[in-house]
Amino acid sequence: MEFLSLLDVTFFLLTALGALVGIIFGAIPGMTATMAVAVCLPLTYALGLNHGLALLLGLYVGGISGGMVPAVLLNIPGTPSSITTTFDGYPMARKGEGEKALKVCVIASVVGGLISAAVLFFFAPILADFSIKFSYIEKFLIILLALSVIASLSSNMLVGIFSGVIGIWLSLIGDYSISDGGNGKTRLMFDFMEPYLFEGFSLLPVLIGIFGISTVLLEAEKGVKSDLNDERVKIGKGGGFSFGIFHGRFTNMIRSSFIGTFVGMLPGVGGSAASVLAYTQEKNLARDSSEMGKGAPQGLIASESANNALTGGALIPLLSLGIPGDSTTAVLIGAFTLQGIQVGPLFIPENVDTWYIMMTALIFANFVMFFLMFFAIKHIAKVVMVPKHILYPIIVMMCVVGAYAINYGIMFDVWTLLIFGVLGYLVQKVGLEVAPLIIGFILGSQAEVYFVKSLESYGTFSIFFTKSPIAVVLWLLILASVVFSILMSLKNRAKQRQADIS
Amino acid sequence: MESGLSDLLSVSVDFQTSHLYFPTIITWIMAGLFVAILVTKVIPFLAAVKRGERTLPILGEPMDAFRFFGTLALIAAYFYLMAVVGDMFPYTGYGFLFVSIPFVLLMSLLYAHEWTKKALIVICINAIVAPSLVWYILAKLFKITLP
Repeated sequence: MEFLSLLDVTFFLLTALGALVGIIFGAIPGMTATMAVAVCLPLTYALGLNHGLALLLGLYVGGISGGMVPAVLLNIPGTPSSITTTFDGYPMARKGEGEKALKVCVIASVVGGLISAAVLFFFAPILADFSIKFSYIEKFLIILLALSVIASLSSNMLVGIFSGVIGIWLSLIGDYSISDGGNGKTRLMFDFMEPYLFEGFSLLPVLIGIFGISTVLLEAEKGVKSDLNDERVKIGKGGGFSFGIFHGRFTNMIRSSFIGTFVGMLPGVGGSAASVLAYTQEKNLARDSSEMGKGAPQGLIASESANNALTGGALIPLLSLGIPGDSTTAVLIGAFTLQGIQVGPLFIPENVDTWYIMMTALIFANFVMFFLMFFAIKHIAKVVMVPKHILYPIIVMMCVVGAYAINYGIMFDVWTLLIFGVLGYLVQKVGLEVAPLIIGFILGSQAEVYFVKSLESYGTFSIFFTKSPIAVVLWLLILASVVFSILMSLKNRAKQRQADIS
Repeated sequence: MESGLSDLLSVSVDFQTSHLYFPTIITWIMAGLFVAILVTKVIPFLAAVKRGERTLPILGEPMDAFRFFGTLALIAAYFYLMAVVGDMFPYTGYGFLFVSIPFVLLMSLLYAHEWTKKALIVICINAIVAPSLVWYILAKLFKITLP
């Protein structure tokens, strides 16, 4: 219990501050939890590890939760994961039950968040313990598995794989680092780039560019229209909410939380998949789903408990394998690196105190989120009114600070923002996928080391299949994810054909 | 047969050129996938564009060109001038402060749809307060390096 001595008032204040700022970010349409974490990163540069983590985890939990506010009040999902919250939330708000709907969401969120935190607490150390024995070969296969899972869950597998490979390719620019056992020579670039790109693109400017600058560009293209006008925000009167709404809904809440946690664990799969899956499950399994889509609390419960359960779920592969579970945890990887921490199988056993501190921050953030939103929802709902022409310049400014300060003042890192901001914009415009690209970028250089070093020591490709029973299991899982993807696309095609006929 | 297969799979990586080994593989995979996507997605898509069923991304879509290219130009000028002004006052973060204020002002004006008196006052106050606050907290209190 040594970690208790590391907890101080600042720690709890920072978590609460993070949750509040996160909620505000989540509540503003077009801003996501990922952006909240990316934009607030510079604040953590000056903080120590524990305080930095407290702020970031607060932001993460708050950001995911905040998305419910515009989803209910404006029919616009504040974060992609609150898409299904709009289905029932907005009809309720139109009936004047906005506050009731939001309170249902808040309770579902906190339950989802806490259940996933519990799963994280018990499951991550086991997974880490198991993966500690992995050699380079199994590690390489894990990365291959992660990428194939992301690709198979993309809307189109070929496009998903291609996006992931582009990410890997971009990560290889620069030198084959001597510290990783490489020969220190550069590749995939011209000589004049060497002064800037010897070590390749820095991770955080790339992420901040893709999630911050791209978003601004996509909005600018649409003309930065304000989608708010006073009449549309109807929070309703306080009445109508009672805990009785949850009567008979516990199975739904627990099931959706576990669905959210599980989807969160799959690398690179965004929150929308979790809430959509939980929502359709509720629709299929509920005794009476006739009201769903017209303003039924059960739909809100399914959607919100699943999307908050992502938080714990996405941290599982991050902390046990070093593979981010979603785009927000991808930014967290950058924050860890900054603090000199390498996430992976050794993280939990070697940093037990930090691990407990993270759990404390995560759980505390959920409670703060609950109290802030349950009692102050009326005031928080007003932030959806903040005009974008005030916010976006500030976002760009914060992106600059984050990128410039990351390596203690390198101007090229700021230009990286623009390069990857434009790249992220183009990628999304031509229909490629950002999530696999990011995961590919993060894991690419490790994949190289594992792959090349394995071949150097064993001298044959067959080692990837014969090294250990685990390797065989991993190949089977990779195969399963590919087969799953093909089956899904066949099913979709059949469905589309049926729709065309009728 | 057995030895034939293991010969086929055996490989030796030359350390001197090992930095090119994995990138070469990835580049080829990327090229292969690109061709596959070209054949299965892009060519049918372009055919649909020709028939008038679909529109090209970016080029064929309606866009707010003024705000989009304005944003790009502002950001590029912002980054460039920040370094220039920053070099005049090294280690103070003034480059960031002095360039951020006009940047925030201009970008707000670019994005605002209605230039009412009230909106303009808010924009001006924000353009001065936000960068100053960020500069004070980060550069002065937290001692973070700023341009």
